[in-house]
Amino acid sequence: MIMFNVLNAATWGDMAKKKEKGFFDFEFITWMAWTWQTAAFFIFIVLCLTAMVIWEKKSPGGGPRKGILGLDTTRGDRLFISLLGSAFIHLFWLALIGSFLWLATILCVGYAVIVFRYV
Amino acid sequence: MNKTINQKAWFFVIPVFVLVAFNAIIPLMTVVNYAFQETFGNNVFMWEGTRWFKQIMLSERFHASLGRQFLFTFIILFIQIPLGIAIALTMPKEGIGVPICLVLMSMPLLIPWNVVGAMWNIFALPDIGFLGYSLNALGFDYNFTQQIGDAWFTTILMDVWHWTSLVVLLSYAGLQSIQPAYYQAAEIDGASRWAVFTKIELPKMKKVLTIAILLRFMDSFMIYTEPFVLTGGGPGNATAFLSIDLVKMALGQFDLGPAAAMSLIYFFIVLLVCWVFYTLMMRNEGNQ
Repeated sequence: MIMFNVLNAATWGDMAKKKEKGFFDFEFITWMAWTWQTAAFFIFIVLCLTAMVIWEKKSPGGGPRKGILGLDTTRGDRLFISLLGSAFIHLFWLALIGSFLWLATILCVGYAVIVFRYV
Repeated sequence: MNKTINQKAWFFVIPVFVLVAFNAIIPLMTVVNYAFQETFGNNVFMWEGTRWFKQIMLSERFHASLGRQFLFTFIILFIQIPLGIAIALTMPKEGIGVPICLVLMSMPLLIPWNVVGAMWNIFALPDIGFLGYSLNALGFDYNFTQQIGDAWFTTILMDVWHWTSLVVLLSYAGLQSIQPAYYQAAEIDGASRWAVFTKIELPKMKKVLTIAILLRFMDSFMIYTEPFVLTGGGPGNATAFLSIDLVKMALGQFDLGPAAAMSLIYFFIVLLVCWVFYTLMMRNEGNQ
């Protein structure tokens, strides 16, 4: 019965019911509606930033260069271009193809590698 | 002078970081969370995956409001930038006229957005407003509450009235920083007024103009209050720009999921445009 309740934690049936307070119930942030997927996304972003900090400690200066687009970029710029570009790749994949979103993610990894090597 | 390296200085940044976390980072994270779920209130959420993003990307309504937004932004840039430069060129360079012009120019900038909207609403009302009544008395069939063209005309006129001054002040600052020696050299060479403008004044104003275009682009791209008070997005949806449409979706229909997805897409577009402008500005910097 407990399993059943957990599986149906968010359904039409629960709409107006009072939820029982469990041990790990952080009610003060329930309005933020966290899911493990979005949490994983933000952890990924934090890891990226941490990795950039460590990289900067290892070789300071940000590795500035003039890339194939004729832009002066540093590592931070390249990360920004990769992330923003990935967002647009995912959005247009959803709009134009619609399914197999993980293929877009693979495409984005390739795109990020290209950006970090050549831009 | 050598700066001392002192990592303790980071502690002084913490208050700002906390402030930004509460007014920007946490709300933005919440928007990301909402964009993947459906809710009917009461803090109950249902996972929807990427459905809302797909829906918004394919939505006719989103395309229409995005189109209106770009059209509006380009029209006001097309009017405000040349007009601002022209006014700045005709402003006096010294004497008592300078402070008078500067104060007059700053007046519209000091008025709160919703007051501007309310002022123009009353000003343009066809039966009692000065502008609306006069236009109708002159024989124009003008009614911004019912005709699409008139609504656009009034919205654009209001934005031009409110924000051209910003372009004027920036251009004027750029013009004032030009050394008199350039003008003297031009006079000796017998350069025409047009040549002075294109060869001396415009290149010298390039930096401030880039900033002016960036500021005006961002402000008009995120415009909400003035058209909301003036037309409320109407007639129909004719002046429902992105932010007005977004608020309609989020608060009017309580479609928090699609609205969150739409605001993220909106945010990505703003980020992209900002990055492009920033890059162009930095490139100019490097070439000089």
